[in-house]
Amino acid sequence: MPTRTYSQAINDALAEEMRRDENVILYGQDVAVWGGIFKVTDGLLEKFGPDRVFDTPISENVMVGAGVGAASMGLRPVVELQFADFVITAGDEIFFKAGMWRYMHGGAHTIPLVVRAPSGGSGFGPEHSACPEAFIMHAPGLLCAVPSTPADAKALLKQAIRLDNPVIYFEHKLLYQMRGEVPDGEVLTPFGKAVVRREGEAVTIVAWQDMLRRSLTAAERLSQEGIEVEIVDPRTLNPFDRETIIESVKKTGACIVVEEAYRTLGVGAEIGALLLEEALPYLDKPFKRLAIPDVPIPTSQHLVDAIVPSVDDIYRAVKEIAD
Amino acid sequence: MDQEQLVKVFTSAVLARRFEAKIVELAMAGELPPSLHVGAGQEVAQIAAIEALRPDDYILYGHRGVAYMVARGVSLADMLADMAGKEGATSRGKGGVMHVVDVPKGILGESGTLGGSFVVSVGVGMALKRKQPDTVVTYFFGDGTANRGPFHEALNWAAVQKLPCVYFCENNGFAISMPTSRSTAVENIADRAAGYNVPGVVVDGSDPVAVYEVMEQAVARARAGHGPTLIEAKVTRLQGHYVADQQEYRTDRNAVAEKDPLPKLQQTLCDRDILTQADVDDIQADADRQIEAAVAAMRAAPLLAPEVALQDVYA
Repeated sequence: MPTRTYSQAINDALAEEMRRDENVILYGQDVAVWGGIFKVTDGLLEKFGPDRVFDTPISENVMVGAGVGAASMGLRPVVELQFADFVITAGDEIFFKAGMWRYMHGGAHTIPLVVRAPSGGSGFGPEHSACPEAFIMHAPGLLCAVPSTPADAKALLKQAIRLDNPVIYFEHKLLYQMRGEVPDGEVLTPFGKAVVRREGEAVTIVAWQDMLRRSLTAAERLSQEGIEVEIVDPRTLNPFDRETIIESVKKTGACIVVEEAYRTLGVGAEIGALLLEEALPYLDKPFKRLAIPDVPIPTSQHLVDAIVPSVDDIYRAVKEIAD
Repeated sequence: MDQEQLVKVFTSAVLARRFEAKIVELAMAGELPPSLHVGAGQEVAQIAAIEALRPDDYILYGHRGVAYMVARGVSLADMLADMAGKEGATSRGKGGVMHVVDVPKGILGESGTLGGSFVVSVGVGMALKRKQPDTVVTYFFGDGTANRGPFHEALNWAAVQKLPCVYFCENNGFAISMPTSRSTAVENIADRAAGYNVPGVVVDGSDPVAVYEVMEQAVARARAGHGPTLIEAKVTRLQGHYVADQQEYRTDRNAVAEKDPLPKLQQTLCDRDILTQADVDDIQADADRQIEAAVAAMRAAPLLAPEVALQDVYA
């Protein structure tokens, strides 16, 4: 099986879908001539021409809002927001227009829009580093993908482009250079199907993207001490695969959510509430969240390291539960 | 604009005016929620502008009134159902009369946030350019919404892309209670067109022929691929922002009825012997018949089922 980076996998997905369907267009700041600030869309202008791949002014509101209008009239726009934080900058267009234009008009419109949003990472400061998926998960009308591997980056994006609903597709900046096997050909990852990345009995960890990578590293270390954790990667947050998490918790009796986002009312809070409502009898240990304390994300690396869950943090949290 | 078109504008304006009056009457009686921003005084400009479009052109509209829909022949009963939350409602109880939608008739809908459709119109223009060349989209908006950021982002990018969009500002001099002179640095919204390198045209919104002519040019320009035009019609808001607004903030409120373009248009049509008083009576009676039939249909329609609230989120 060929190996590709996460970034190449996204590029491949875009190229394949644009070749398959002439209604797919791609635009955003610096995506065409320059190939994107993170070079994810490199070469697509040359392949598909300026009518389908084009640069936009620094105008996040109209970038997303035009995506809604274009999608409602039969195109399938893929919009790149330069940083995921800008889902807030384009809040009216993300939450009201993409999320509600169909509902508010009684189903008269269909909005097959994908907004690509590079999230996470460090060194970019408080307004360029967030993983704002909880905002999206909270809002009605928006599907949400959080691919964690090159294979899923490709297969979730291909699926997202074919769906008839708006999708906010978070691509993690620290994963762009991650290399992994990507199957050739038409592989689509269905939305709403979590995957168990590692099986174990000691505790269920729910994590995605860079927190998944850190959890897998911590799991290796724990395994050497005889502690086997189970790791669930949700892959999409809306729709959200509750069953896989509950089934895992039935087996392990404990759950830790690791997320690269603010603690209060984050995805972890929702999973905690889900377990309280539907899996309390199976929980032998208190539910735990590892998340960013409720502060913005600073710029200096050592300050970022002080607040984002680390491999050591995950290791210690599991030890506390497993001991 | 020929005589037949002028009569059509008058007929639609009479229907829109009377329909709104009926809605207000039913709202004051408690039968309908008072959730309409009345467009009285602005209908002639709105309808004359739409008359310059083809039936296959599209419309995004502002929140003031129902004349856009009346001009396009949207069912009056369905719009009443929108207000009443009944079967037949075009937005199925989700948007009410502020979000009437009828895609086959080119009525694409309306943003809840004021001026929120500026950005949507750009995307519609992008799609039309690629998929339905030779059609255009017109966005009707108020002077108040022109002070929101989306106005700037949309005008700029629509102009850069030379999209088939027409921006039609209805300047009634007020953003709810605030006079435009206190909210807006330029005298005319159309003056801002220079900032986007597009034509900006000011027109008397009480003159349907003048409105039609500037729209005709703007639409031709958009159709030809030369990009948007910013039209500003100076219009008069005869009533308050919402049904119960007494307009204490308005110094001209006692004199405002004199500025009503509808009696003026009626006078013109009669003076030019295009219509007789009997014709006018017939037009008014016909409007009232349509309205009564619509009210009866709305009253007979069942309420939308509660589970409809859960539908239409996703395709």
